[in-house]
Amino acid sequence: MPDDATARDSVAQVIQLPARAATRAAAATTSTARNGVETMLRWTHDAVDDWGRDARFTDRIRSISGLRWDVMLDGQHHLDQVGGGLIVINTRRLSLSPIWSALHLGRALDRPVRFVGRPDIAPTGPALQRLGGLLTNSAELTRVLASGELVVLSAAPTISPHHVGVVDHDLVGAAVAAKVPVFPAATASSSLQRSARLQIGAPIAVNQRRRGPLAELELADDLTIAIGAILDGFPWNGWLLS
Amino acid sequence: MAGQRVLVSGMGGELGSRVTSLLEEEPWVGALEGIDADPPRRRLHRAVFHRIVPGQHDRIVEVIKKFNPHVVVHVAVWEPHSRAAPAVARSLTDDAATSILGAAAECRALESIVIRSGIEIYGRARDSATRPDEDTPINPTTQYGRMVAGIESTARRIGDRIGVTVGTLRLGTVVGAHVPSPLGRLLRMPAVPYSALADPPFTVSLDHDAANSFVAAARMRLDQPLNIVAPGAITALQAIRRGRRLPVPLFGPEWMLAKTVAYLMGAPIPDHVIETLHRGRLADGSRAHEVLETAPTATTPEVIDQLYSWPTVVRTPARDAVA
Repeated sequence: MPDDATARDSVAQVIQLPARAATRAAAATTSTARNGVETMLRWTHDAVDDWGRDARFTDRIRSISGLRWDVMLDGQHHLDQVGGGLIVINTRRLSLSPIWSALHLGRALDRPVRFVGRPDIAPTGPALQRLGGLLTNSAELTRVLASGELVVLSAAPTISPHHVGVVDHDLVGAAVAAKVPVFPAATASSSLQRSARLQIGAPIAVNQRRRGPLAELELADDLTIAIGAILDGFPWNGWLLS
Repeated sequence: MAGQRVLVSGMGGELGSRVTSLLEEEPWVGALEGIDADPPRRRLHRAVFHRIVPGQHDRIVEVIKKFNPHVVVHVAVWEPHSRAAPAVARSLTDDAATSILGAAAECRALESIVIRSGIEIYGRARDSATRPDEDTPINPTTQYGRMVAGIESTARRIGDRIGVTVGTLRLGTVVGAHVPSPLGRLLRMPAVPYSALADPPFTVSLDHDAANSFVAAARMRLDQPLNIVAPGAITALQAIRRGRRLPVPLFGPEWMLAKTVAYLMGAPIPDHVIETLHRGRLADGSRAHEVLETAPTATTPEVIDQLYSWPTVVRTPARDAVA
């Protein structure tokens, strides 16, 4: 009798095997789906600030961006006591310098850092807005700077990483209008490696004798020279492949 | 200053009756009268209400000239699909603005006009300001935006002509427990559509804060436009998540279907709400806090939380038990 019972149990287990396998697979699928939904819900539960920047979303993207860029940051002490301020950087074409500069500077300073240059078209525009992107508009930039925010503005992109593109004096004029300091900063990043560098220089004073737009033009010229000087000091032979 | 006569147009609406109840407690307000097509939604103690539809110009002129107000608070604005279909809303709003503000202009005692407008007046055209302040040029891109632009234009012309101050309160989407808001109605649906590709941020106004702003503007004889919005912002998906609703991501053409389904479910979506969901709607309200010296009581996420915490049906028990 016991032998018969054991045999029956074994047969029953064999019969149930497909059902158990299906149950396990369904449970695993459900668990994966639930985790996915919970992750999505966590990512979408936060709120955005007055300008549409999502702090937690930015933190997550910054963490992910660490896989692409290993940023070496210098000169951030210039920004320690600053309320609103404009940081003007050089940028190589397709290097996304304004984005990674703002992301990593924000982490170093533990405060939101925004950047100029988001398009006003979905889905890129709203996604960059979540990261702190602003439209390329001097009136908008003036309002952001006047409200005490730090903003990264890039010069026109260049092919060579050693050169500084044209600094838009109209956009730099936003800092003059908002009466906030302007900082030159040089960036360099490798197309093939993770190495990237951001060095911030001392603020450049606006020529107070000028009452008109010459102040902005001169400031843009001074910024170009200052960024170029910082770039000249970068150790190009070795860790930075461009 | 005491004993000022104040006329509130749109007194029957939730916002109008709230403004009136706050004005009743103001020491500088003497006589208080109001006009609307519907009776007030709350108990008013000393305000006199005239039930007149906006098209009855003669009656409106007669009542307003007889009252001869010092201050006119013009809240009679019908947001499309809030209490009326878009065409009716436009007609009622235009009629009310023309007849009430026109009649007020005939009053010798008139010193100030405060009107309701909306941040929809700035429009959301491509490359328009993300967060416009009061100096940003207006460029309405929706029917409601054009309606409030028309009211502002009418009031400004009257102000210039007869030399009275005109204060304009550009409200974010007003949300409150009993406010008939198309956006609020849509967000409270069990399943809420949102733009999967954009999901831009927007801001709102709490009805109580908006009412406080009207009272402060009337008190100080405001003579400039001000944005009245709650601090902070939220996206549609974040709002849906806070309300524990089912998010329905939409990408483009299916919005037509979503609009039809929402209409059939009792939450029609006007074009300015569609624009809010696709392009966002922010505004800089910092100047209002400085000028009116009023502080908002709730941030945008808090207002959205309140939107979802209001019960669908308020059950009031019988005062006396019946055998």
